[in-house]
Amino acid sequence: MTNELAALSDELAAVVEQAGGYVASVDARPRFYSSGVFWRPGVIVTAEHTVRREEEIAVTLADGARVAARLAGSDPGTDIAVLRVEDSAHAPIPKAGGPPKPGQIALNLGRSPDSGVNATMGIVSAVSGVWRTWRGGRLDHYIRLDLTVYPGSSGGVVVNTAGEALGIATSALSRIAGVAIPTVTVDRVVDEILARGRMARGYLGVGLQRVELPDHQKGLIVLSLEPEGPAARAGLLLGDILVSLGGVPVAETDDIQSLLETHGVGSGIEAALVRAGAAYTLTVTVGERPRRS
Amino acid sequence: MSGLGEIAEALRRSTVEVRLPEYRAGGSGVIWERDGLILTNSHVARAERAQVELWDGRRYEGRVTARDPRRDVAAIRIEARDLPAATAGDSSALRPGALVIAIGSPLGFTGALSTGVVHSVGPIAGMGRTKWIRASVRLAPGNSGGPLADALGRVVGLNTAIVNGVGVALPASAAVRLARSGSPPMLGVTLQPVASGLLVLGVDPHGAAAASSLRAGDILLGSSDELADALDAEQEVLRLRFLRGDPRRVREAFVRLAPYAEAA
Repeated sequence: MTNELAALSDELAAVVEQAGGYVASVDARPRFYSSGVFWRPGVIVTAEHTVRREEEIAVTLADGARVAARLAGSDPGTDIAVLRVEDSAHAPIPKAGGPPKPGQIALNLGRSPDSGVNATMGIVSAVSGVWRTWRGGRLDHYIRLDLTVYPGSSGGVVVNTAGEALGIATSALSRIAGVAIPTVTVDRVVDEILARGRMARGYLGVGLQRVELPDHQKGLIVLSLEPEGPAARAGLLLGDILVSLGGVPVAETDDIQSLLETHGVGSGIEAALVRAGAAYTLTVTVGERPRRS
Repeated sequence: MSGLGEIAEALRRSTVEVRLPEYRAGGSGVIWERDGLILTNSHVARAERAQVELWDGRRYEGRVTARDPRRDVAAIRIEARDLPAATAGDSSALRPGALVIAIGSPLGFTGALSTGVVHSVGPIAGMGRTKWIRASVRLAPGNSGGPLADALGRVVGLNTAIVNGVGVALPASAAVRLARSGSPPMLGVTLQPVASGLLVLGVDPHGAAAASSLRAGDILLGSSDELADALDAEQEVLRLRFLRGDPRRVREAFVRLAPYAEAA
C-alpha cells in the first residue's frame, strides 16, 4: 500500500536522517540542551542565546559520542556562537545557494542526547532583505519560519527538502516567529570569529536622540558621551546635533548603526554637526563596542 | 490511491469521544477491534464506566476493562458489532520527519484534524522506558486518547500529553500490549519523587501493597524507572527496600503482586 502522502513522508524522513547526521546536541546551559550543526570541518555553529557558559561545553554527535567543545567566539547581535571540536571526520553540511523563497518547505533539525535527531516541518513564510535584529546585529536576509522552533532545537539547522542548509534556527530574534539566520550571515560571522575570536562592532560612544532643526532638517542630538570614547576624543560635546556621518544624512539612530557596519573599527568617519547654530565638521575614529560582561 | 481527505475521514470514523460526566472528564479514543474494543488514555478512562460516542452520534455505556496508569492507557469495552476499527501501524518503524495526523475532540471540536511530522522518538525523563513518540502536531485537552496516524492512516500512537508544546503519543505497540495482556500489576501506592527516593504519600487499602508493611511516609529507595522495570518483570513477589525514620536503616517490604488481569 502506498500513496503520494506516504512517499512524501518517506522523503521527509530520509532528509531528516541524512541531514541530521550533521546536527549535534549542544550542552552549554543549565538543564536544557540546544542544537548545533557542523558548518566547517571541526566547527559547530549554534545559537548564542543557548550558550550560557564559556567552559565545560560538550556536544553529542550523531553517533552518540559526547565530545568536548571549545567556544571559539560568539556574536550576540546575530545570535551566533562558534564552537570548535576535535573532530575532523565530520564533513560540514551542504548549503543551499541563495536565500529561500516564501512558501518553500523547510525543516528544523535538532538533536537531544536521549532521543537523537528531532524535526519540525513548515514553510518559509517571509524573506526580505537586510534586517537589523533587536540585539543589534545585521542579518543579510530576514527569513521568517512558519514552523515551531522548540527550545532544544534553537541553534539547529533549517534545511530545504534537499537537505541543504538555509540557515540556523533561533527563537530569540523574534517574538512572533522562529527565524533562520541566513547562511551568508553565518558564513560572514564564522569567518570573522575564526579570524579574530570575536565579532568587532563599530562604536562611537554617544547617546543620541532625534531632533528637528529650525530649518526642518533632522538630526540627532548628543545626550550623553562615553568619557574617553571615540566621539569624546574627536571633540564632540553634549548638545551637538549630528546631521550627517560619512557624508550620509542621519535622522534616526538606526542610520548610525547601518553606517557603522560599513565603516570598520579603526577607520575615520567624518561627522557633520550643528553646535550653537554653527556648522562644524569633525573626524571620529570608529572604536570597538565594549564587550558585554 | 487515497488523499489526505479520505485518510482523515476513515480515521475520523475510527475515533470516538469518551466522556465521564460525573468526573467532568473526557477525551478521545480509538476503535481498536470491530466488536467493541476501544483504546484510550487511562487519565481519560479514570473510572469503571465511561460513555462512548461514535462518529455517527451513536452512544454506548462502556466498561473499562484494563488500565495501565504508568503508560497512561486503558481499554474500554462497548456492546457493539461491525465498528469501523482503525488499522494499526508499526510504531517502531516511525522516523523523525515522517508525516503524522492527529484526530480527536480538542476543546469540544469533534473530529478535529491536525497534521505535522514526527519530532523524535525516545524515552522522556520520569516517564519510564517507553519510547514515546513526540510529534509537532497541535494538540489540546480533548485530544487525549485519540489516534496519531501515519501518512497511510495507520494508527501508530495514542495522543497522550503536551510537553513543552510538543505532542506526546504512546506508541501503539504499548497500547496493543494492554489490549492483549490486560492490566499490568500495580503496587497500589501514591508516590512522589524526593531526593532520596520515592516518598509514599498513600497506600490504596485495596491495592497490592496494603498487605505489606509499607505505609505512608516511608521512602522507597530507587527511581521510578527502576520500580517500573521491577513491576514489568512479571515476578510474583516484589522485594522493596525502603527507609522509615532512621535514614541509615534500610528496611524491606514484600508485596505479592496480582497477576496480569485477564483482558475482557
